[in-house]
Amino acid sequence: MSSETTAGPAESTGPVERLHIAGLHAATDAVLSVRDLNVRFNTENGVVHAVRGVDFDLLPGKTLGIVGESGSGKSVTSLAIMGLLPATAEISGSVRLKGRELLGLSDKAMCEYRGNELAMVFQDPLSSLTPVYTVGTQITEALTIHNPTMSRQAKEARAVELLAMVGIPSPKDRLRAFPHEFSGGMRQRVMIAIAIANNPRVLIADEPTTALDVTIQAQVLEVLHRAQEETGAAVVMITHDLGVVAGMADEIMVMYAGKPVETGEVDEIYYNPRMPYTMGLLGAVPRVDVAEKTSLVPIEGMPPNLLHQPTGCSFAPRCPLVSDACLAGEPALAPVAGGVQHRAACIKAESLGGADVDVQDVFAAPPVPVSRFDSIPRTERSTVLQLKDVRKHFPLTRGALFKRRIGTVKAVDGLSFDIREGECFSIVGESGSGKTTTLLEIMEFHKDQDGEVVIGGISNKQAVDAKTKSAMRRELQMVFQDPTGALDPRFTVYEVLAEPLQNVGMDRPAIRKRIMELMKLVGLQPDHVNRFPNQFSGGQRQRIGIARALAVNPKLVVLDEPVSALDVSVQAGVINLLDKLRAELGLSYLLVAHDLSVVRHISNRVAVMYLGKIVEIGEVDRVFDNPRHPYTRALLSAIPVPDPQLERTRERIILQGDLPSPLDAPKGCNFATRCPVFAALPPAKQEKCLTLEPPLEPVAPSAATQALEAAPVPSPDQRFACFFPDGELDEDMLVVHEPADHHAP
Amino acid sequence: MLKYLARRGITYLVMIFLTTSAGYFLAVSTLKPALLEQERIPRPTPEQVATSMRLKGLDPELSPWERYVEWLTAIVTRWDWGRSPNGAFINAEFGDRVWISTRLFLASIILTLIIGVALGVYSAARQYKFQDRVITSYSYLAYIVPAPIAYFLVQLGAININETVGQRIFFVTGISTPGMEPGWEQFVDMLAHYAVPTIAITLVGWGSYQIAQRQYLLDNVNADFVRTARAKGLTRNQAITRHALRVSFIPVAQSIAFTIPAIFAGGFFAEKIFAWPGVGSWSIDAISLQDVNAATATLAYGSVIFALGAILADFATTLVDPRVRVQ
Repeated sequence: MSSETTAGPAESTGPVERLHIAGLHAATDAVLSVRDLNVRFNTENGVVHAVRGVDFDLLPGKTLGIVGESGSGKSVTSLAIMGLLPATAEISGSVRLKGRELLGLSDKAMCEYRGNELAMVFQDPLSSLTPVYTVGTQITEALTIHNPTMSRQAKEARAVELLAMVGIPSPKDRLRAFPHEFSGGMRQRVMIAIAIANNPRVLIADEPTTALDVTIQAQVLEVLHRAQEETGAAVVMITHDLGVVAGMADEIMVMYAGKPVETGEVDEIYYNPRMPYTMGLLGAVPRVDVAEKTSLVPIEGMPPNLLHQPTGCSFAPRCPLVSDACLAGEPALAPVAGGVQHRAACIKAESLGGADVDVQDVFAAPPVPVSRFDSIPRTERSTVLQLKDVRKHFPLTRGALFKRRIGTVKAVDGLSFDIREGECFSIVGESGSGKTTTLLEIMEFHKDQDGEVVIGGISNKQAVDAKTKSAMRRELQMVFQDPTGALDPRFTVYEVLAEPLQNVGMDRPAIRKRIMELMKLVGLQPDHVNRFPNQFSGGQRQRIGIARALAVNPKLVVLDEPVSALDVSVQAGVINLLDKLRAELGLSYLLVAHDLSVVRHISNRVAVMYLGKIVEIGEVDRVFDNPRHPYTRALLSAIPVPDPQLERTRERIILQGDLPSPLDAPKGCNFATRCPVFAALPPAKQEKCLTLEPPLEPVAPSAATQALEAAPVPSPDQRFACFFPDGELDEDMLVVHEPADHHAP
Repeated sequence: MLKYLARRGITYLVMIFLTTSAGYFLAVSTLKPALLEQERIPRPTPEQVATSMRLKGLDPELSPWERYVEWLTAIVTRWDWGRSPNGAFINAEFGDRVWISTRLFLASIILTLIIGVALGVYSAARQYKFQDRVITSYSYLAYIVPAPIAYFLVQLGAININETVGQRIFFVTGISTPGMEPGWEQFVDMLAHYAVPTIAITLVGWGSYQIAQRQYLLDNVNADFVRTARAKGLTRNQAITRHALRVSFIPVAQSIAFTIPAIFAGGFFAEKIFAWPGVGSWSIDAISLQDVNAATATLAYGSVIFALGAILADFATTLVDPRVRVQ
């Protein structure tokens, strides 16, 4: 059907004719078939052509992954299929559900299909449920709408069944709970329960796990998998994360600038991509399972503005392989020779096949930067930051006039670590584990703090006057998560960068010179200094944030989720920049990130936090390749890898439930309530976990290495806090998807 | 819930006591009724004034603290709020005034609420359409026009109707015609007196509720949970009425409970223009007549009504929003 979508005939044949041809080609057994879907929005600036000709067929029980960055039109496509776009959107083309046309139906007529045969799960579970109704009411509503004759008892029984299916404990009681009484992951389960209430034929999931922690993401993906098995629905999975769909999808559609640029079977796309954009995307994500360090593939530039119809290939301005032929007409999706249903929209698709094409070369990935500190042993480098037994306990009080203490939240509970010169140290953990509080405690730098913080030789215990504090600020600067929120919209870049320099008393010519240096350093054009932050893209704004942090030449930069707000292709550029700066300027980083792949890529050492405590700490490759603590193992196994074959056969530890409230922290090991090892232990050993707190101890060198060496081997840089690191894992928490079962029709 | 309300009640009682006491001290040290007495003709001697004041419990020679203790004792032991300089008893006057204010405002508050919220929903559902523009423009106009002028315009309108018909249908001032026999005629007379002030206050009042309700509803019309409801198979309008409306009513419910006391205690312009001598005009008069006890009593009434409004607001919020329900 691709031949019809070429640029030439598209103008000569009318849409009706094209639809007719497309209809003839459509697989007869497809449950959902989309042809030439176009969506235009009339805005004040002109017509935005958000979706430009999407075609796909979805077979029953199969999963289609739609992958793309923000603005690529993937969410608009899904909303157009659901008929949930605002009335001002112009939609053309054809969407057929089991042969019945959905486009052009009135809101009322669409209601017959929505929530019945066609269901959807949205991105943000926190805002997607009505706050004032109980979860039970919201589930039964979905049943009532499509089964008006169903009795109340039957509806309630079905609601309980649904909640149990999506893994909500004690479903009967939880029916009467309100959404705010559930955590994010639990709410997303409820959303899935609502979506599958009427056994839909097609389930659309729009970034269903983007807002969730990795461990919770693994749980929710598992629930989606189960939901698909139970209902036999076909699934459209929309995501920006190539890892998430690798294990689930049968087919992938990569979207760029509102158009599918590559489609095909999942293995073809991941192992034999033919469109430079797909290749770039795959190369731009760091891998958590690969130790060998290579630079990430940066895709320069920004996605095109869809106000203007592209005249050539929409990816041409960012493509490293661009030639004149690319600018003459937009290439159509054409079958790739040798591939099964593999199509790519690139005139060079044929030449990009084969093993000799290296994405690193194609995209001119920078060489891996080497820091002058890399050759010096860690123990010989000076310490830039040291924490000794830092604690932050929040009292929990009750009562309006007379507060009485009813408990303590131990947000950070006895943290000790140090960062040496030229090193990147990362803290990882789920939200609520105390990562941000740790950063705040370091930034707070007050003598009344519980524990000692030493920054560049200055201890917080000496920080009595403002002068010591400002000396400390010169040693340590911070880069924030949201680059847009962290920059004053009324300040030009010049003013943003000048502020810290004025604070340290630099004179005007020196400031000007320094700002020009900084702009070049972070890869921005120096003549853009008079622009405002909103004239830059997200990635550029984060570069401004980095430049601001570097202005006063600090030794240590604290990075709080520096790339989590950025698209993958942009993220790669920022990560490469951070890597380069660390090597060139001899900086040290303290990085807090939830994305363990990024952490592995950039860090030298890593600490895993759980409920305010470090449970494992050490050299990054040691911790990631040989995790000893069950929590670290669970975290690592929860991260999806953009490798379909690996994903399908991988053994996964799915932790039960959410992070417990710090109030209910057990007396012994904090992790005991969710620990897969603990669950499988005999009661006698369990007793030890429950009563004693495991200390952070070094990993003993294995007997084999010991035997080979004559002298005693120094213990490696890895410590963990667990009594039974070699214990069996509980079978209930282990999930393996057999490849056969996945591909069964 | 009851325990929670009781706790709130006690907190407010303490606050009412403090404001009233502070108000009494302020009044007793600034208002000097004896000065007004001296303007009488023939001018009384200072001794005569002092005696007459002492007889009414307004002895100017006592210190503020002594008078406060005396005043408070009378209230606590006999529920006696004292007397005015002209000899009237506050307790007797107070009941009448509150009853007049309540009658003046009760009907219009209910109408204001219903009309304001209903129009807010109606205009939000038709955002930027003709109806919405008309209704919302009117609300902003009602905001801008000072209340006395609006009341006056309504009065003029009523007079116009009377003149056109050639018969007195509406009374533009006053509460009732004196000397009516109870029965049908008295009822018609009451309606004729009530109509103009009620309509005037309602016309001016609903604007703020309309604007608030429209705004809050529009904030929620495109909320994620409304989209979820539509994805379940509800039409857009069903999703809005079933899901967005209740959520958008939470802040409105709170503001309603807080504006009610303001109207009850402070409808000074309405009371003056329509010649209904209620609490609002009484409090202003009390100050100009140097009436310590009346001024303090209206202040105490205002605090009580405000506390009631606050408790009502809490109650209304817990009723519509499960997130704030007390465990």
